[in-house]
Amino acid sequence: MFLIDLHSITQKKTHESISNRLALVMKSGKYTLAYKTVLGSLRSSKGKLIIIANNCPPLRKSEIEYYAMLAKVGVHHYNGNNVDLGTACGKYFRVSCLSIVDPGWYTLGSNFPSGFCAKMCAV
Amino acid sequence: MGLKSERSVFLIFKISKLLCYSPETLTTNTSTEGEGESEGAKMVKFLKPNKAVIVLQGRYAGRKAVIVRSFDDGTRDRPYGHCLVAGIKKYPSKVIRKDSTKKAARKSRVKCFVKLVNYRHLMPTRYTLDVDLKDVVSGDCLQSKDKKVSAARETKKRFEERFKTGKNKWFFTKLRF
Repeated sequence: MFLIDLHSITQKKTHESISNRLALVMKSGKYTLAYKTVLGSLRSSKGKLIIIANNCPPLRKSEIEYYAMLAKVGVHHYNGNNVDLGTACGKYFRVSCLSIVDPGWYTLGSNFPSGFCAKMCAV
Repeated sequence: MGLKSERSVFLIFKISKLLCYSPETLTTNTSTEGEGESEGAKMVKFLKPNKAVIVLQGRYAGRKAVIVRSFDDGTRDRPYGHCLVAGIKKYPSKVIRKDSTKKAARKSRVKCFVKLVNYRHLMPTRYTLDVDLKDVVSGDCLQSKDKKVSAARETKKRFEERFKTGKNKWFFTKLRF
């Protein structure tokens, strides 16, 4: 008898949808990659959603979260490390945190960032 | 160079420990924020006047300060986001009940500084300090030494008043790191 690993299947499914959404933002929207620019976008209150990879050093992660808390901006913890996040962004380098400034075509669909993240969080 | 960067990293470490927020409330932000299309525009600028910040670099690293005036887009001399802060150079000591009034007065002295600091060299906190310093610490107060000294002296007076009322205790306690 097969033992279907439902959990991993659902994980993979939402993971794919995350990548699709990110790809859409990469193609049509505005974003900044990496720690320095993420903080910059938070300070100037331009960022709308922050995505942090799971192997981001905890001090840096909590610093970004603190800034995001002050700026009332959502933070999403990406289910993958910086290599995966870089690949998801379509880049050939590692990305440990990124900030979405303008979601581009994604805004036409549902509201951002809740719609973006709802599927991500619903694992 | 290495020593300086180590120190600021250590500072941030201590700051993160002390700033006491719960990470859970942050990650659920994404689900609670979905209350209509307007929420996308609800980003808050937090580097505003009266915000308490911690200076991360320079001679005053580790000192708490208040933003008096912020220049988000910079000026011609400083083409980056920076702000005018008024901070505490020397914190007031702990005043105990046993102290005589003379001693208590001596212990509650606050030494202040006024400085233009790059946003990158500040750590914003969730605290605010609403002491009116706009008239005292104006844009031109850093142009000459006497103006700077008189501005620092005025802020010292205001900070000491505030300290004596017992409010904003966090601001007047030294950040241990």
